Amino acid sequence: MSGPGRIVDGADLPELSSIEVDYVVVGSGAGGSVAAAVLAESGAKVAVLEEGGHYTKRDFNMQESWAYPALYQDHGNRTTDDLAILILQGRSIGGGTTVNWTSSFRTPEPTLRLWAERHGVRGLDAATLAPHFDAVEKRLDIGPGNPDDVNANNRKLMEGAAKLGWQPELIRRSVKGCARLGYCGMGCPLDAKRSARTTYLADAVAAGAQVFADCRVKLVESDRGRVRAVTADVLDRASDRPRARLVAYARRGVVLAAGAINTPALLLRSKTGLDSGQVGRRTFLHPTVPLISFYDQPIEAFYGPPQSVAVHHFADRGAQVGYFFETAPIHPMLGALALPGFGDSHRRLMERLPHVQATIALLIDGHHDDPGGGVEVNGDGRVKLHYPLHASLREAAVSALADMARVQLAAGAREVMTLHETPIVIRGEGDLAQIAAAPFGPNQHTMFSAHQMGGAAMGDDPGRSVVDSRGRHHAIENLWIVDGSIFPTSLGVNPQLSIYAHARLFATEIAKTKA
Amino acid sequence: MPGTQGKSARLDRRRFLKRGLLGGGLLVCAGALPFAFRSTLRRQPRGPLRLLSDDEYAVLAAAAARLAPGDGAGPRWPTAEAVDCAGKIDALMAQVHADMGSDFRRLLRLFESGVVGAIVAGSPRPFTRASATDQDARLEAWRRSRFALLRSGYQAIKRLAQATYYSSPEIYALVGYPGPPEVPQLPQLPTSPTSPTIVPRVPG
Repeated sequence: MSGPGRIVDGADLPELSSIEVDYVVVGSGAGGSVAAAVLAESGAKVAVLEEGGHYTKRDFNMQESWAYPALYQDHGNRTTDDLAILILQGRSIGGGTTVNWTSSFRTPEPTLRLWAERHGVRGLDAATLAPHFDAVEKRLDIGPGNPDDVNANNRKLMEGAAKLGWQPELIRRSVKGCARLGYCGMGCPLDAKRSARTTYLADAVAAGAQVFADCRVKLVESDRGRVRAVTADVLDRASDRPRARLVAYARRGVVLAAGAINTPALLLRSKTGLDSGQVGRRTFLHPTVPLISFYDQPIEAFYGPPQSVAVHHFADRGAQVGYFFETAPIHPMLGALALPGFGDSHRRLMERLPHVQATIALLIDGHHDDPGGGVEVNGDGRVKLHYPLHASLREAAVSALADMARVQLAAGAREVMTLHETPIVIRGEGDLAQIAAAPFGPNQHTMFSAHQMGGAAMGDDPGRSVVDSRGRHHAIENLWIVDGSIFPTSLGVNPQLSIYAHARLFATEIAKTKA
Repeated sequence: MPGTQGKSARLDRRRFLKRGLLGGGLLVCAGALPFAFRSTLRRQPRGPLRLLSDDEYAVLAAAAARLAPGDGAGPRWPTAEAVDCAGKIDALMAQVHADMGSDFRRLLRLFESGVVGAIVAGSPRPFTRASATDQDARLEAWRRSRFALLRSGYQAIKRLAQATYYSSPEIYALVGYPGPPEVPQLPQLPTSPTSPTIVPRVPG
């Protein structure tokens, strides 16, 4: 080991530079950070390349106008190619963990069983993962759910679900010393969030890893069944245009952790490791359907921990697509994006912002016959995400809207409003039938995704998966994937903890690989 | 069976490309509207534009004016122009992938076109020269169109305009949002390394 490493800003790199290390890790979020830490602590020389910038608590000003362009993919403009689903996905040192809402769940056992039974995943059960979950939970200070974390927005979900017997649960959060400000999605100004940047990336650097911000990896270069190097554009942070180039040579291997959209896109762009025909296929999003409710008393959903209550009562609906409920914070910009209409009609809704409660239903895609979406890269290198809403998901969305409305009516909402372009106002059970009759095509109802999964699935069949059940590429022996793209389906819970734990397990195996 | 999977993947990709070509058809058509900006009513940007032409800026500014609160909101509400919606969007879109920026510029050309306006909403004037009522009707026609592509176009402009408008601090009080709270002075927590400072490992 050569002593501590450091984080290097792209601005400090010359026009052309190269490095040679044992492992190159692409991406610094949940998967990349823990992989870098494990590998660096094993004595390997590690470089982490991150497309986004390096920001710390001093930069996090809690302003949406700064945070979304600076900390999210496509400067906050990432969507499916038909613009029907907004994609909230992080892009900075720490990746998605810099902006996630801290919700932490272990991978549900039914999901692990589904992967084993139908997707050829081997040797990946709850017992195998348990020590890795234990370690990550300790490092991220994930304790039991805390009732003091429940703000008014979440309390309405908790109260309504409890009244209906739908078993709300407290969400475990990756925080320490949280002041409950409510700005997790814009970067924590206190570093109270235990993000990848404040935990595993710090460990990786302490063990000697070099982390390069502002480096967009363009190509993975392979030769005779092995990857040799990656090439990256070094971005000028102000313009986001390339200003220099970095070539990172990997003596022992390359670990991809650029997320479930950018990792498949990188392989497609590189024309590398595509033998299975599965790269960029079966992308899952937990397509998310919001519903708002108006209360007489202030809710102030812009303050307090964004997510502290979940309801998984409908996660298993048998032959139908399941869903679960959580809440979303509503700051003015996110609220404006979600609310339908324009001009004065939109403004009148915005004026009620402090009294709005927002419940969201996350559809558990990929567990039935819905094939998910796909990632493509066009000739100019632009990443495109295609995600048609399968009929079974549409059914689940309509059902979920009615169930969310029932929760909020039970909690005492004055009225509930769907986010169809022609909203449906619900004041009682009798109004719910209108939901099924309303159009639900692309851009006829607000939808978003904060959970991107799949696109480079794991499994032991090289014809049906991209990597094996330990993340190693089937055809390229020194290429691994350790991010959310390995999941054969969506998880049915928020993914950050699953990504950390799987990546930690995989990295432990990688570290045993002979030089 | 790998062979079957591979064939299926190829077919799927072919379908995707076909759908993509058709999907992009509308924006391709924008290139066939060379006179769309012939009589555009220009507005003066506050500063140099980074992505848009003066004509494109004018269309965006006109649309933003209708997407933000209108005259019925009263004088307390700033106009989209007062918060420089179009200028901020120009700066933002100059940073996204160049291909995405080109799509956005073509969309503005379509939006301005009187030919498209006549077909979509029976409004044959360029968007920038239409009355406020006609402009609202054009936006409404795109918003509620049975063609998914028009709805996409509406959402692209709507989201950018409203996101820019409502994320402006001068709007916060008007929507009952007190703004970000003071950050409390908490005991110093372990933090991450900052280039080029080296921070020792924090005990887990």
